[in-house]
Amino acid sequence: MHMAASPHKVGATGGAGSGSSSIVETLAEFARRRKSFWVVVSLAILFTAWEIAGRVPISFAFPTFLETLSALIEMALDGTLLPAYLITFQPLLLGVAVSAVLGIGLGIVMGLSDKAEWLLAPVFIVLQAAPMAALVPLVTFVYGIGLVAKTLAVIMLALPVIVLNSYKAVRHVNPSLVDMCRSFQGTRMQQIFKIIIPDATPVLFAGLRLGIAAGFIGVMLAELLITPTGIGDLITYHRSVANYAHMYAAVASIIAVSTLTLAALQYVELRFLRPEKRRK
Amino acid sequence: MNMFARRMRASAAAAVFCLSAAIPGWALADPMRVAFGDIATVESLHLLAALERAKEKGVDVQVTFLKSEDIAAQAVVSGQADIGVGGPYALLQKVKAPIRIFMQLSKLQFYPVVNSEAYKEWKDLDGQEIAVHSRGSGTEAIMKLMADKNGIKYSNISYVPGAEVRTGALLQGNVKATIVDSSGKRVLEKEAPGKFIFLPLGEVSATDEALFANTEYLQKNQKDIEILVESILTTWREVAADPKAAIALRDKYKLLPDATPEMVADIEPYFTEAAATLPLNGGGEDAARDDFEFYTISGALEGKPAELKVEDFWDLTALNAVLAKTGTK
Repeated sequence: MHMAASPHKVGATGGAGSGSSSIVETLAEFARRRKSFWVVVSLAILFTAWEIAGRVPISFAFPTFLETLSALIEMALDGTLLPAYLITFQPLLLGVAVSAVLGIGLGIVMGLSDKAEWLLAPVFIVLQAAPMAALVPLVTFVYGIGLVAKTLAVIMLALPVIVLNSYKAVRHVNPSLVDMCRSFQGTRMQQIFKIIIPDATPVLFAGLRLGIAAGFIGVMLAELLITPTGIGDLITYHRSVANYAHMYAAVASIIAVSTLTLAALQYVELRFLRPEKRRK
Repeated sequence: MNMFARRMRASAAAAVFCLSAAIPGWALADPMRVAFGDIATVESLHLLAALERAKEKGVDVQVTFLKSEDIAAQAVVSGQADIGVGGPYALLQKVKAPIRIFMQLSKLQFYPVVNSEAYKEWKDLDGQEIAVHSRGSGTEAIMKLMADKNGIKYSNISYVPGAEVRTGALLQGNVKATIVDSSGKRVLEKEAPGKFIFLPLGEVSATDEALFANTEYLQKNQKDIEILVESILTTWREVAADPKAAIALRDKYKLLPDATPEMVADIEPYFTEAAATLPLNGGGEDAARDDFEFYTISGALEGKPAELKVEDFWDLTALNAVLAKTGTK
C-alpha cells in the first residue's frame, strides 16, 4: 500500500509527457499502477463536496472544509491537539492492551476447548451484538468517572471482537497441519505452540486490528458520554461555544488518526503475516 | 380491465388514506414547537405551567425535551423547533444565525462549596483543584471570577458535568471544592449539616436560561409570542409572590406526573429560594448588559462588553409590548 502518493507526483508525471493526450495516458497508466491514485481522487471528491456544502451553506453550524482545515492547523500549532491526544490515548492504549492479552488468550482457550467455548462464546456473542453506547453510561454507576471507567468502555468494545476473531482463528487452523503434527507424534503442547498458534496468527492479527478499531469507538463514546476529556473535551467545548470549525476539526482528526492507525496495522499485517495476500 | 379497475380502486383508497392523515395537519395552525435543553424537573415547573396557560389562550404549544442546550439551539437554528430554552450567546455571536433571545427566564444560581475538613474560605483554594460543570460553562466563569476577586489561582479545574453528580462526589469525598446548584445545596445541608462551607459570592447576575427563536418566526408569530411572554411573566410574578403557588400549578395542570415524593417535597423550598432572583420583567436590556459582562469573562462571548450591541442578541419587541400592557415590577 502506498498511502502517501501525492497529487504533486501525478502532476510531475503528467508534465513529463508531450501533449494533452499523453497526459491522460500517463494519468491512466499511473492510476492502473497505483491504487492509491483512487484514494486521492476519492478524498478530493469528498473534500470538494464538503467545501461546496459548507458554502451553500446547508446549515449555519456547518463549516467549510477549508475553515475546518485551518482550525485543525490552528489547534495543532497552539498546542491544544497534542495534549488532548495524550489524554485520549491513555484509556485507549490501556484498554486495547488489556483486550489484546485477555482477548487472544480467551479466544485461543475457547478455540482449543469445547467446554470453554460453551461457557464463554455466548457471552461474547451477546456482548458483540449489544448496543454499547447504551451500556457505557452504566459503567459510571460502578466505576465512577475516572480512567478506570473509560478504560472499561474501551475494553467493552474491543474485547468481544478480539475474542471472537481469535476463537475463529484457532477453529479454522488447517486440519491437515494438525494431522501432520499427530503423525509425527507431536505432544499436545507442541501441537498448540508449533502448529495451531503460528497458523492462526494472521487471523489473530486481523482480529486485533478490528479490536483496535472498536477501541477507538469505545474511547470516543467514553469521552463523550462519561466525562469530556482529551479529544472528547475538544469536541464538547467547541460545540458549547459554537466554534463549529474547531469541533469538526477535532472530529475529523480522530477519524484521520484512527484510519491511519488501521492502515499502518494493515500494512504490517500484509507485509509480514500474509504473504499470500500481497498484490505484488 | 378488471385488473385495471382493481388497481384504480387500490390507488384511490391509498390516496384517501393519505389525505385523511394529512388533513388534520393542515386544519390546525402551525404549532409552536418549544425545545428544552434538559429533562423536565422541579426547576422547570413554573415554565411548564406558563406553557399550559399559553395553551389555554389558544397557542398550540408542543414541547420536546432534548439532551443538552446545544442540541436545543441547533434545533432552532435548523428550523426543527421554533423556540429554544437556554443561553445561546456563543452561538448568536459566532454563527451568524438569525436567532434572537426574547426573554430571560432565570439567572445563574450557583453556590461555591468546600469540604470544611480541607478548606474554610476562598484563600484556602489557592493552588488547589476545583471541579466545575464544563469548560466554558457559567459555573467555570463564576469560579474564575471569584478567583480573580480573591487574588488566588487554582492548580487545576476538572470538569464534572451535572450539579447532582458534583453533589454526590462532595458527599463521597472525591471532590473537595466545587460549585453546586440550589437543590445540591439543600441536599448537602440535609445529608451532612455543617460538613460543607458555602463560600460567599459577590454580585453575579447573568442569564442561566432564556427563550430564543428565529427572527423570522418572531416577526410572523408576534401575537403568539406575546401570549407566551405574558403567561410567563404572570406565572413568574405569581410564584415569586407565593412560592406555594408552584405546587398548586402542578396540581392544576397535572405537571410532572411521575415526580418522586422527594421531588415534590423540593418544589416549595426551591421556589422560596428562587423567588428572590426570578426575573419578573423578562430581563430585557439590563439583563443583556449584565450578560455581556459575565459571558465575556466566561469565554462564551468575545470582545469588549461595552462594544456589544443588545440588538445583535435580543429582540425586545414582544417583551416591551407585554410590559407596556402588564406594567413592570
